[in-house]
Amino acid sequence: MTAPVLSTSPRRVTIALSLLIPSTCVVIGATLAFLIFPYDLSFLTRIVIMMIFVVSFDLILGQAGIATLGHAAMYGCGAYAAGLVSLHLSPDPLFGLLVGAVAGAVMAWISGLVLLRTHGITLLMISIAVTMVLQEIASQARWLTGGADGLAGITVGPLLGLFEFDFIGQVAFIYSVCVLAFVLVLCQVLIGSPFGLALRGIEGSASRMRAIGTPVYRRKVTVYVIAGAIAGIAGALAAQVTGLVGIEVFNFSLSADVMVMLILGGAGRLYGALIGTLLFMVVHHVAASIDPLNWLFVIGFMLLIVVFVLPKGLLALPGHLARLLRRTS
Amino acid sequence: MSLILSIVVDGVAYGMILFMISVGLSITMGLMRIINLAHGGFALLGGAAVHLLTTRLDVAFVPAFLVAVLAVVLVSVLLERLLYRHIYGFNELGQVLATIGIVFIMIATVNLFLGSTILPLGAPAIFTTPIDLGFRTLPFHRLVVIISGLLVLAGLWFLMEKTRFGIYLRAAVDNRVAAASLGINTPLVYLVAFALGAGLAAVGGILGAELLPIEAYYPLRYMVLFLIVVSVGGLGSISGSFLASIGLGILDTAGRYLLPGVGTIFFFVAIVVLLALRPNGLMGKAQ
Amino acid sequence: MTFSKLTLYLVASAAFFTAGTLAQAETIKVGVIATFSGPNAIWGKQFREAIDVYVAQHGDEVGGHKIQFIYKDVGGPNADASKAAAQELLVREGVKYLAGFDFTPNAVAVAPLTKQAKVPAVIFNAGTSSINKQSEFFLRTSFTLAQLAQPAAEWAAKNGSKKVITAVSDYNPGIDAETAFAASFEKNGGTVLEKIRMPLQTNDFAPFLQRIKNSGADTVFTFLPVGPATFAFTKAYNENGLKAAGVSFIGNGETDETTLDALGDQAIGLVTAYHYSDVHESGLNKSFVAKLKELHPGSRANMASVGAYDGAELIYRMIKAAGTDGTKAIEAAKGMEWESPRGPVKMDPVSRTVVQNVYLRRVEKGADGKLVNREFATVPNVPDLGFNP
Repeated sequence: MTAPVLSTSPRRVTIALSLLIPSTCVVIGATLAFLIFPYDLSFLTRIVIMMIFVVSFDLILGQAGIATLGHAAMYGCGAYAAGLVSLHLSPDPLFGLLVGAVAGAVMAWISGLVLLRTHGITLLMISIAVTMVLQEIASQARWLTGGADGLAGITVGPLLGLFEFDFIGQVAFIYSVCVLAFVLVLCQVLIGSPFGLALRGIEGSASRMRAIGTPVYRRKVTVYVIAGAIAGIAGALAAQVTGLVGIEVFNFSLSADVMVMLILGGAGRLYGALIGTLLFMVVHHVAASIDPLNWLFVIGFMLLIVVFVLPKGLLALPGHLARLLRRTS
Repeated sequence: MSLILSIVVDGVAYGMILFMISVGLSITMGLMRIINLAHGGFALLGGAAVHLLTTRLDVAFVPAFLVAVLAVVLVSVLLERLLYRHIYGFNELGQVLATIGIVFIMIATVNLFLGSTILPLGAPAIFTTPIDLGFRTLPFHRLVVIISGLLVLAGLWFLMEKTRFGIYLRAAVDNRVAAASLGINTPLVYLVAFALGAGLAAVGGILGAELLPIEAYYPLRYMVLFLIVVSVGGLGSISGSFLASIGLGILDTAGRYLLPGVGTIFFFVAIVVLLALRPNGLMGKAQ
Repeated sequence: MTFSKLTLYLVASAAFFTAGTLAQAETIKVGVIATFSGPNAIWGKQFREAIDVYVAQHGDEVGGHKIQFIYKDVGGPNADASKAAAQELLVREGVKYLAGFDFTPNAVAVAPLTKQAKVPAVIFNAGTSSINKQSEFFLRTSFTLAQLAQPAAEWAAKNGSKKVITAVSDYNPGIDAETAFAASFEKNGGTVLEKIRMPLQTNDFAPFLQRIKNSGADTVFTFLPVGPATFAFTKAYNENGLKAAGVSFIGNGETDETTLDALGDQAIGLVTAYHYSDVHESGLNKSFVAKLKELHPGSRANMASVGAYDGAELIYRMIKAAGTDGTKAIEAAKGMEWESPRGPVKMDPVSRTVVQNVYLRRVEKGADGKLVNREFATVPNVPDLGFNP
């Protein structure tokens, strides 16, 4: 998995470069956004963090075909872990991310052992129930989490000891984009590896993969833990940027939103996660600021139109257009 | 002793509401294999219609109730013809997206016309009269709920076991393709089953409004609850839905009586354990 | 590296430049962060309508400045959205005052920003005492839980309640209310038989009310979040025969004007201790309520409305005194006194929460057939009793 980067054979160089394509796109897009919308960085940062979260969900739903409605569990654990660490242990942001990743991974491992034995609606319901239990614990353990008032007073030190988090949110934005780029490279490597191919196979047909000797359950747990770690990173980032963690991190609606954003963009390819998140959050933001009472109409119709016109998500749009053009010409 | 009786009575009343609302969802999920996240929306529409009729137009509760249920059935038939028939063919993820879109539009519609606060249903005064049961008092509407729940159960049993439609429906649940090849008009069976489910949701929503108050965000607020009932009961099983509703109603109530503070945790942990042990629910068939 | 540093400087200086020019301009912007969508949209609606009334009555100019309110939706308790909204308001819109804040986490999340930008933030609702400790730029025109629960306890103890059960929703505001009530009630010679905490998720309160009824308590004190929970609890109180069994009810915001009519006639007789009723007897309140009816037919004033109305008053007064200088504005606000639709209020210089009358009210049928909270006793000038600096 790490070999291609060091090797010099031309084919391997191309592979290595192709791993960097999504990240490069993100960095270019982010730079443009930074220059064009210098006053909206806090909103852009929220989008970037959400992208990390949705990409992690793509690993389990898009790659391995595991549909859950409880991905907020790992996000929330990462957020609380990072918040508690910065309050009580060390204000270093990168250390906080690491702890968030570990917390998300541990949560995913514990819950994954149970829920990955099931499938379909049972899996959906167990994942929801796990998140509900966590939310109730966060709400009850006031001495630790602050309960419904939230875990307040989280401050993070300068990034790499150099860059203070500033008022306008520039450092926070650049920091989040870097994390997203790193996560994308990681996911690309993972997807291209034999492990990633095994996941694809499981998504296609678990029984066939079992027949050719793939330990399906173990593969699923592994990818669930990796996705959990990334979701934990997203949660940790949110905690650091906002400086407060509320019990709302475990909301069912967060898990549902993530699923909607991914399907909207198109599950299975990382770009889908990025585009779906961008579209959903921007439409939501714009519609809500124009008419907060009725923006739900806009979102509702958008979902229906996408699912009826582009059942494979927005990513299928270029292909559709191309075919349409070919037919008319 | 009276404590146990109390728990049972409250739990059963709560469970009956869950049953009436969820059983339609269970049938449609078992039959059409569709994850209909908009199901609670039919309960909302029923409640909102009764609110409109009783408080704005001064219609009496019983006729308002009948009109509202009928209206919801009509809306569901329309939706089935226009949207759901196509949604059946989508994959699971497409279904989730489409039905979430539908529920958003339902919520936004109610929100636009009636606002986001609680919508009182103008139930008759007798509904709130306490009835003395000897060991405790019970509000009359809970009695109504329990009796209606039993009637719904009996009606569904009759429909499934004693009528031709029931045979068609059971055949379609068991094997859709075989049923169709035997000449059963499956699209019609689907339509009737869907409308039936929506109508029952409306009945449950209206009668249960004292416990689960009607407001615009109703379908999202209680979506998880209804899905839990369906998955614990087993997809497509009426008796399973009934057992699950009553069981969960009693479990939740007992948790609140006996384990204040950790009742909610206890409830959800119990569901995780139950589903881990019986992944197809209490009465579900292996898929 | 150098390039990105350069852009950083460029953008930063551009931002400060814009902010600087705005400060000299005639218009002063006020950013209102609240919930305008989702299940809790009623908060934002009440805030906005009350500000409309205030502006209609007092004009949109004060001290030579034109005042512009900018509304931002955060969709419920959502710290991430609240902080992002505040940043956007401060950086892009150059607002000089923040306001709104229906939920505690939404207020706490902007505390660091108010300190960095030296911008006063007026809380229209969030009632946790400790919020104001997070930043010296917070001012509160609503109430705190201790401010309401303690007078409720004192009144109950003096009016025949001996044995009380507290039944509150199991979350921070509920527990704050429970603590304040129980401490004060016991100090006044009463006994607290049991403290029940009810799950936030539930709407079926019959089990708890049955327990209260069986316990032999003569009074139940309650605190629940406004919405389905209060609706179901007050209904269950009647339906389980507690009223008939002689268990009296005392609450705080359970008979809120926006949900009162939904409760129906069975709410008649419920006693609550609160700081505002829309039938408060005063000329100012009458004109406030009348103007609200005129601008927004069908709306009813409640505690959120009066919080926003007084918040607007406070902001106008600060602008008159200090213009856009946040630090000076806060100093000017401390000790300010004015007449509010709820009665006389004063900004406590230490806790920065209004000192106000708490009224004991009973639900009655009003002249137009609608249910109202009729005030029958007053506990004057109650400060935030829960604040410890």
